[in-house]
Amino acid sequence: MIFSLLISLFLPDTSFVQVPTGNYWVGAKGHALNPAREVHVDAYAIGATEVTNQQFAEFVAATHYVTDAERLHNAMVFEPGLKEFRWLEDSTACWRYPNGVSRGGVDDKMQHPVTTISYNDAQAYCEWAQVRLPSFEEWEIASRAGARTTYFWGEDSRKIGRYANIWHAHDHLEPDGSDGYMYTAPVASFQPNRWGLYDMYGNVFEFCEGHLKEEKTVHARGGSWWCSQHSCHYFNSVDIGRVHRRASFSNQGFRVVKK
Amino acid sequence: MKLIAATLALLLPLATFAQDQNQEESWKPASAESNAYREYRLKMTTPPYGLAKVKGLIKKNTAYMEDVTIMSSKDYMSLTLREKFTYHMINPESYSQNCDVEPPIQDEHKKVFGHLPDNYAELNWSERQRDFLQANRDSVMEIIKESANRSKRIGLNYKMALVEIKAVEMVPFLVEFFKRDHKDLDILTVLMEFMAETKYEPFVKSVSYTKLYSKNSTYNAYLLFNQANEDLIIQRAMGMYNAAN
Repeated sequence: MIFSLLISLFLPDTSFVQVPTGNYWVGAKGHALNPAREVHVDAYAIGATEVTNQQFAEFVAATHYVTDAERLHNAMVFEPGLKEFRWLEDSTACWRYPNGVSRGGVDDKMQHPVTTISYNDAQAYCEWAQVRLPSFEEWEIASRAGARTTYFWGEDSRKIGRYANIWHAHDHLEPDGSDGYMYTAPVASFQPNRWGLYDMYGNVFEFCEGHLKEEKTVHARGGSWWCSQHSCHYFNSVDIGRVHRRASFSNQGFRVVKK
Repeated sequence: MKLIAATLALLLPLATFAQDQNQEESWKPASAESNAYREYRLKMTTPPYGLAKVKGLIKKNTAYMEDVTIMSSKDYMSLTLREKFTYHMINPESYSQNCDVEPPIQDEHKKVFGHLPDNYAELNWSERQRDFLQANRDSVMEIIKESANRSKRIGLNYKMALVEIKAVEMVPFLVEFFKRDHKDLDILTVLMEFMAETKYEPFVKSVSYTKLYSKNSTYNAYLLFNQANEDLIIQRAMGMYNAAN
C-alpha cells in the first residue's frame, strides 16, 4: 500500500489505473460463456471510475452528438412499482434525463455515471476522447484485482454493500434507497477494489468491447443499481450481461481504457 | 468524492500476484435429459394467422429501422386482430436486459419454477404489444386455445401472454392440457403465477408461496415435481377459478 501511494505521487493522471502486461486468471469453472482460463494481456490503463455525466456533457458540447435515445426516443427507464425485469419505455428519456423528464435531470448529478446511452453512443464518446471500451478480459482482470473468486474479496456476496450501489430490496415494487441511492450514485461513493478501481460492481452495467454471439447483441458487466440478490445478481467478476446495441437503459454506462 | 489520490501502478504480472486461494465457483453441466427439457421449455409457438403477410411486413419494417423491428402504425393498422396476434407473438418490438447465460439447472425436468424463463433474448414486448394483449384478452385466450389444440403445445410466448393478461379463465383448459401428457411443467408455473398475481389467499398462505414468491425466495426458486405438488397446485388453481366464477 505504501509502495502504491509513493508511486501515485509521481503519476500525473489519477483517473486511470495501470494494469501491467502479464498472464491472468479469468472465468469460472464450467461457465458456458466464460470458462476458467489463463489469458495473456498487454499492459493497459483503465478508468478508475465510470464515465460521468460531466465527461459525457463535454463530449456532447464539443461534437453536438445526438444519442440513440434522443434520436429514436426508445429509452428504457425505471420507476418503483414495476415487476421484476420490467422496464418502461419513455420517449423523453436520454442521458440528460436518465429516467425521463418527469423523474428529473442530471444538472445536480454531474459526477454520477452517464446512463441511458447505447453501446453505439459509448463508442462515439470513445472515438472523441481517444479511448476505447475494455475487452471482456480486460474488464474482468480489472474487476478481480488479482482475485480468482467470484467477487474481488472472495465468495461472500453479503459484503456487496461495502463496494457497490445495488438494489437491496427483495423486489422492485417499492423504492429502495437503503444504501443512500435508489438510482445511480456519484462515482466512487463506495469502497474501491484493491487496485483502486471503483464501482466495478453495481452502479451501472459497463459496456465491454466485442460480441459473443450476434453482432447486434452487445455485452455489459458488473451489474447495476437495479440488480438485486433476488434478480440478476450479476454484480460479480464472472457473469456477462447482454443487451441490444441500440438499447438505452438507465442502468447502463461504461468505463474506458486508454488507447 | 471518495476517490483516493493513489492510482495503483501494478507493476507485477500474475506470477507474483497473491491471488486468492478460495475455490472457484463450479458450474456442473446438466444431464442430457435436463438439457433436452430446457430446450423444450424455451420453444415458442408460431401462430399461423396471416403469417406470410406479417413476416413480409416485419421484413419491410426491419429494413427501415435497421435491426429493430417496430412496425409502422400504418402497416400495423392494416392487420386483422389475428394477424396482430401473430405479429406480437413472433416479433417483440422493445428491449430487455438480460443475463447472458445462467448456470445449468440440474434436473430441470423435475422442477416446477415460480417464474417462466425468458426467451426473447435482448428484446421484449413493447407497451403497444402489452396493451393489445390486455385490450383483447378474450380474443387472445380463444386464439391461444385454438392454436394450442392444433399444435398440441403451448409455446413459451403463449404462456407469457397468459401470465401478462392474468388469464384466470384459462385455468380449466390449462389443467386439462397439462394432464394430457404431464410434460410441460411450466403450465403449472403459469397456474401458480396466476395465484400469486391475484393474491389468492389459500395460495399466499401456503408453504409453496413462501418458497417461490416471498421475501426470502429467489427468482429461480422451484418446487420439486411430484404427484403431491401437482395435485396441490391444480386443486388450488381450480379453487381460485371457482371462486372467481
